[in-house]
Amino acid sequence: MKAIEVNALNFAYKGGTRKALDGLEFEQKQGEMVVLMGHTGAGKSTFSRCLNGLIPHFHKGDYSGEIRILGNPIMGRRVHDLVSQIGLVFQDFESQLFSTNVELEVAFGPENLCLSRAEISERIEEALELVRLRGFERREPASLSGGEKQRLAIASILAIRPKIVVMDEPTTDLDPQGKHEIFSVAKKLRSENYTILFIEHETEAALEADKIVIMDEGKVVTEGKPRELLRDIKLLENHGIRPPQIAKLFADMNETTLPLTVEDAVRVFEQRDWKISDQEYAALLKKDEQYQKGYGKKIIEVKDLEYVYPENIKALDNITMEIREGEFLAIIGQNGSGKTTLVKHFNGLLKPSKGEVRIAGQETKGKRVSELGKIVGYVFQNPDHQIFSDTVEDEVAFGPRNLGIPGDKISRFVKEAMKDVGLEGYEKCDPFSLTKGERQRVAIASILASKPRVLIFDEPTTGLDYREQKSIMELLQNLNRKGHTIIIITHSLWLVAEYAKRVLVLHKGKIILDDGTRKVFSEEENLRNSFLTPPEIVRLSNRVGRTLLSVDEFKYCLKR
Amino acid sequence: MFIYLDKESFLHRLHPVTKIAGLILLFIWAMVFNHPLYLSVIFLVVFFLSIIARCLSNLKKFSIILAILAFFSTLLWPFFLRGPTQLLKLGFIQISKESLLYGLAMGIRIDTMIVSGIIFLSCTRTEDFTLGLSSLGLPFPVSFALSLSFRLVPTFAATSSTIVQAQKSRGLDLESGRLWKRIRKHIPLFIPILIYAIRNTDLLAMALESKGFGFKKNRTYYLRFRSTWQDWLSIAILAGLIGFSFYLRLTGYGAIFHRI
Repeated sequence: MKAIEVNALNFAYKGGTRKALDGLEFEQKQGEMVVLMGHTGAGKSTFSRCLNGLIPHFHKGDYSGEIRILGNPIMGRRVHDLVSQIGLVFQDFESQLFSTNVELEVAFGPENLCLSRAEISERIEEALELVRLRGFERREPASLSGGEKQRLAIASILAIRPKIVVMDEPTTDLDPQGKHEIFSVAKKLRSENYTILFIEHETEAALEADKIVIMDEGKVVTEGKPRELLRDIKLLENHGIRPPQIAKLFADMNETTLPLTVEDAVRVFEQRDWKISDQEYAALLKKDEQYQKGYGKKIIEVKDLEYVYPENIKALDNITMEIREGEFLAIIGQNGSGKTTLVKHFNGLLKPSKGEVRIAGQETKGKRVSELGKIVGYVFQNPDHQIFSDTVEDEVAFGPRNLGIPGDKISRFVKEAMKDVGLEGYEKCDPFSLTKGERQRVAIASILASKPRVLIFDEPTTGLDYREQKSIMELLQNLNRKGHTIIIITHSLWLVAEYAKRVLVLHKGKIILDDGTRKVFSEEENLRNSFLTPPEIVRLSNRVGRTLLSVDEFKYCLKR
Repeated sequence: MFIYLDKESFLHRLHPVTKIAGLILLFIWAMVFNHPLYLSVIFLVVFFLSIIARCLSNLKKFSIILAILAFFSTLLWPFFLRGPTQLLKLGFIQISKESLLYGLAMGIRIDTMIVSGIIFLSCTRTEDFTLGLSSLGLPFPVSFALSLSFRLVPTFAATSSTIVQAQKSRGLDLESGRLWKRIRKHIPLFIPILIYAIRNTDLLAMALESKGFGFKKNRTYYLRFRSTWQDWLSIAILAGLIGFSFYLRLTGYGAIFHRI
């Protein structure tokens, strides 16, 4: 039987200018796992909310078409009538959890269904088992890691025993370890015969699916088997999906059979008797070296830094490092490893418990954030945590005005910053009407307009699709070329490999590795101990004896 | 971050309705007297309760606030009240022994109430509170919303603190300037916080619906409390103490100023 059948589904949000769903047709069989992909704004989330009735009951708008769940049309049925057939897990796990402990969080759904106490207890056990959270019953949700929280959110849906589970980008806010946990839960559910619709950007996860469906402009553009679709590099790139690096490499080499895993790729590499050219590799190393020679004087110096949070949690331990002007540094590590705590010392938001931090020679102790802000700009992760003005122009001018930059200079700086981030012509726009990617640019411009020498970016690409991620990273690269020192915190290791020149790995508040990007990524074992896995192209190159950081570098060095 | 402590104690085990009633009774009790000595006795009883509830660690967290409140109450009340035994006179400012004692009493009273509240929150989960309110006859959505608002405080506090840091990083200086200017400086904080609140509430509402909230008029509870003789005894003892205290007060004990 078909689990989901959708015919000519149209939806436009009330007050929206365009159709979010435009004649969508979709089908999924029972027991199948389908991965739904597509760029931001393609209508994926809207579609998932139609499936459990949140649209049109919760979000109002123009709705037409038909959805059948397990053969029955859902027209006119409320969300809570559908819960035992279809469960929806959201991206933002923080706002889905509201109970005092894990057990009660899972009990909430079954309680609403008026089940008996014995039945609820049985379901809690079963759901926690499925997401591997047994033994966490009495833990407070706030004390869990990101991956555990999202697993709990999934368990709280599973306890209702829906036949179909829809997950709307559940891994977006997670670190690599957390992402991995969710993928293995999805795998487990699949083996338990659940029907799963998984909205996801990561191509690695899509390999496990029965079928990949790609959406654009509110409709399904194409669908197919993962092993076929993931090899269609053009198609993926056109829809804002990052193609698997290895497949892309082999496609660019005009190979007809494209491997998808490192193992397969090594086999083809050896069969074809390919080599990495020593000469070209030496040229890459030379380029790295030259880049480092271009660094200016020390701008940030950290000595024996220790930071202890008020609850007596030691977040940073014995950190000593320095950053020179012109560097492009990536700080990586699991959630809770101390990355954000460290960079908050660079603009004075936090002051050392022990040790010292010097910015352009001056100690941060006793300095205000607004003073240090002239040297170090800090772009926070979520642009919505700072946007408040009526126009983009005002928003961007907020920083320089606070820092006391004279009026005539402000308008020039604002103009330059808007140009740098590619938002010329948006001056009079309402920042709230922009897309997430554009709002991220507004946030960057608003820091840039104060002309700080150092720019810190805390996960600047979270929630953006491949195209937007690349364009934000290219923006950072340009700023770096113009002389800004760039410090970026991110979980996307492929971004780090392709753009950063130096990598600092933090684990439990300590520096594990601090070296040039190539050197750090050659130490796979060490990275894995901190739950970090290098991008597949890097792993492939390490397997064949060199460390190459991108598909382009690989192509450059490959000798056939 | 949340104040609830997952421990085993006599107070933890009481029926949520008993806890709610007990909290109200403690508030009433603290209102009976306005003499520091009598209020100190009540404070000691409440302090003893916090030992039983094993929540001294929470009291420690609030100890500075409690001390400040007691101190300022003692310091400020004398300016508003006059008593017969004058200690100090400076122009029209008069400070008397009675007003000083009254201020001290008010400090103890407010601390007693806060400590009672801390004990309540330390041994009552939001789910217990919801259950308690429901069994007192409130509809489930209302009791759920009431207890949820407690639950959301830490989440909102955390986000607000991020927003403050984000704006400080853009040079927002909240510490200088005259009052009016300072108030205006908070606009860059209020708007993002408001937007966060709206968005968060929206998401939460969707998550609740997706978990079958409002599926039927009634629902079952995984937690189960049975009222035992311990609940009745606790309420009886408290009620008895309050009754006796009223008797004392009406017969002229326990007050610095008899009219208030």
